Amino acid sequence: MSLIKQLWIAIAVVTLIALGGSLVVSTLSARHYLEQQLQVKNLDNATSLALSLSQMPKDPVTVELQIAAQFDAGHYRLIRLTSPTGDVVAEREYAGSLDGAPEWFTRLVPIKAHAGVAQVQDGWHQFGTLTLESHKRYAYAALWQGTLQLLGWFVLGGALTGLIGTLIIKHITRPLGRVVEQAEAIGGRRFVTTPEPSTMEFRSVVRAMNTLSERVRTILAEESRRLEQLRRQTQHDEMTGLLNRSQFLNQLDSALARDDAHAAGTLLIARVGDLTGLNQRIGRAQTDRLLHDLAGQFSDFAAGRANWQVGRINGSDFALLAPGEENAPELTAALAKQLHDGLDAHLQDVTVALPVAATAYAAGEARSQVLARADGALAAAEQAGDRGVRVDGGGKAAAPYPDLQSWRAALLSALERDGVRLGAYPVVANDGRLLHEEAPIRLLLDGVWQPAGYFMPRVARLGLMPRFDMAVVHAALHAISGDGRERGINVSAESLCDANFRGELFALLQADAAAAKRLWIEVPEYGALRHLAEFRTLCVALQPLGCRVGIEHVGAHFGELGDLHELGLDYVKIDSAVIRGIDANAGNQAFLRGLCMIVHSLGLMAIAEGVESESETRALPDLGIDGMTGPAVRTPSAA
Amino acid sequence: MTCVLLGLSFAAQDLDRMQRLARERFGAEAGESVDAWRRMLGDAADLDDQEKLQRVNTFFNRRIAFEDDIVIWQQKDYWATPLETLGRKAGDCEDFSIAKYMSLRALGIPAEKLRLIYVRASIGAPGSGISQAHMVLGYYPSPADEPLVLDNLIGDIRTASRRPDLFPIFSFNAGGLWVGGSTSSSADPTTRLSRWRDVLDRMRTEGLP
Repeated sequence: MSLIKQLWIAIAVVTLIALGGSLVVSTLSARHYLEQQLQVKNLDNATSLALSLSQMPKDPVTVELQIAAQFDAGHYRLIRLTSPTGDVVAEREYAGSLDGAPEWFTRLVPIKAHAGVAQVQDGWHQFGTLTLESHKRYAYAALWQGTLQLLGWFVLGGALTGLIGTLIIKHITRPLGRVVEQAEAIGGRRFVTTPEPSTMEFRSVVRAMNTLSERVRTILAEESRRLEQLRRQTQHDEMTGLLNRSQFLNQLDSALARDDAHAAGTLLIARVGDLTGLNQRIGRAQTDRLLHDLAGQFSDFAAGRANWQVGRINGSDFALLAPGEENAPELTAALAKQLHDGLDAHLQDVTVALPVAATAYAAGEARSQVLARADGALAAAEQAGDRGVRVDGGGKAAAPYPDLQSWRAALLSALERDGVRLGAYPVVANDGRLLHEEAPIRLLLDGVWQPAGYFMPRVARLGLMPRFDMAVVHAALHAISGDGRERGINVSAESLCDANFRGELFALLQADAAAAKRLWIEVPEYGALRHLAEFRTLCVALQPLGCRVGIEHVGAHFGELGDLHELGLDYVKIDSAVIRGIDANAGNQAFLRGLCMIVHSLGLMAIAEGVESESETRALPDLGIDGMTGPAVRTPSAA
Repeated sequence: MTCVLLGLSFAAQDLDRMQRLARERFGAEAGESVDAWRRMLGDAADLDDQEKLQRVNTFFNRRIAFEDDIVIWQQKDYWATPLETLGRKAGDCEDFSIAKYMSLRALGIPAEKLRLIYVRASIGAPGSGISQAHMVLGYYPSPADEPLVLDNLIGDIRTASRRPDLFPIFSFNAGGLWVGGSTSSSADPTTRLSRWRDVLDRMRTEGLP
């Protein structure tokens, strides 16, 4: 039972005892008073009637009349005159029933007043004994009315006490609500801090919890910093600070394997011509500075876009990977102009050759294919001169729809006509148990169920992501209700920012609590990072519903997720760029081990994405990975 | 008779208390008075009703001097308890009647046979027409009988018909006042408003039943 309820019951009991007790006492003392008054009246009236009878002639008519007159004019239950021998001489008795008070009340609180007794004298002789009893009806009525009135006041007083008591309890326990909230948040792995309340006891509890949260935050920040340092050492080019070749290629692989709005994109390469000659002409230090500046321009260019990657893939080659950027010519022109202008401003007297080439890529292409196209375009750019710029249109088939409007019509009609289907890629725990099935969207376009990478970039460009994500939620909940298997779905950054989407999602999950408990919802790292406030709102809202919430494609920017300890997540999926070739990459192994340690210390599960080979599968559990998914991962046969 | 003896032995403790009170309030002489009264009660315990009446009547008529309330108590009308009457060795007609009534009750005579009677007493020569308010104690051997009158004005006990100087007005006794054997009414503030109930109550606190 809650503390508030217990306090309220205590107040109610105390009020009841106090008011009930005074009601009883008041009624009893009123009864005592009435009894006294009745008794005095009985005695006095008996005496005065006996006195006047003693003075009267004692013929029966006179005696009878005297008694009748007294009885009829007064309020008596009984007047009786008995002779000294015990015979009744005259008697008047009220036979009517008692009203004015309910019978149970007269039984419960009886009024006992003794009859008045007096002697009647006839000269020296005894004439008789007079017994007189007043009627108690009026006394009962008065007592009953008084009790009722008192009861009314007490009910009123009780209600008032209850009301005031409730207000006081609310006031006292207001800080308690926040304390409980924080405790529950910590229980749900959200290590939040709250302002200390003024109540002493609550304050020490909150202080202890704040200390805990603060310590978790400090440890996390410390570990994240160390991890980031490690990552820079192993994944970055020492001189320029850009990604090194192997890590950049891993990123390219990861980008090509993507199945979402950023599935298609552009790969751009710029080459510093004749680096050896340049070294001789302007000196090594100058050349290093030049390369450093170039790297800086690349970094600045990509800085605004969370999932864009820049790398130095050769001594002289710089590369930009721009997932989601499909307009390769425009991107290339913009970056080339910036780079060339920068070069000219930097070195007026020496001309440095810097051909720039780019190619667009589509979802599902092979890395070698894309790289070959980029190399070809770069060769053509070099042919075109020192500042040559070439863009390869991409190896993909001609676009099925000529422009965005026709895409829009096709997408919406497909969604309405056939709805969406979900893919099924198993995510398996180390012990072989199926954690859930990743369920990416499939849409029927031109008679083929196309994978997400085929159309999601257009959906994103058309601003339809919330609508398609919602369709996936519906389909996933339906599928879960059908077979009871757990499903994992993606929520895009665009949907995350859409308050309507969040509200609808919450209502849907609330309406289907059983299915919600089997749903895993994941948001890409760059989405969570860029819209942290919205992501936090979503996490806090979804946690009580029992569904799992996680971050996917976690990698380079993990260290920037500073508030991870306040989110109450359930799992992270680590990007394939980190996982690729992990069995042979000591640097990434160290990074992954550190990452898993942090993740575990917060109570989250670490899942590897894009596991491609048996050797990776074998190496991952030792690094702290709890589950994996990818081409090398099969659905457990037992299932 | 055994009942009476039992009653007396039971009452002995209360009478001790009464004697002590008298000594404290009115001095050693009062204590002796109460002692004499106790001896008289003890002597009369085994006698018949007539002799009890005689003993009690004589005891008070001889020992107690008649005096007005205003002289004894500095009050216009004060009903004294037997202890007070014995203590002061003085009383008016009510005090005589009350003391006799209580003594006879203590000797086991039932209340039904006793009446305190307000009478109009003719004083002076017969037929002089001068009269005053007076109180006597009446004893009714049976309900229908003429009462015997115990009066402080004359020494002997006579039947009512032999007292033409007295005209009865009203009579009362303690019957019906404490029905149901309630132990004490001193907690009841209405008691003090009636002289008769007041004196009964005071006697009870002083040790008389």
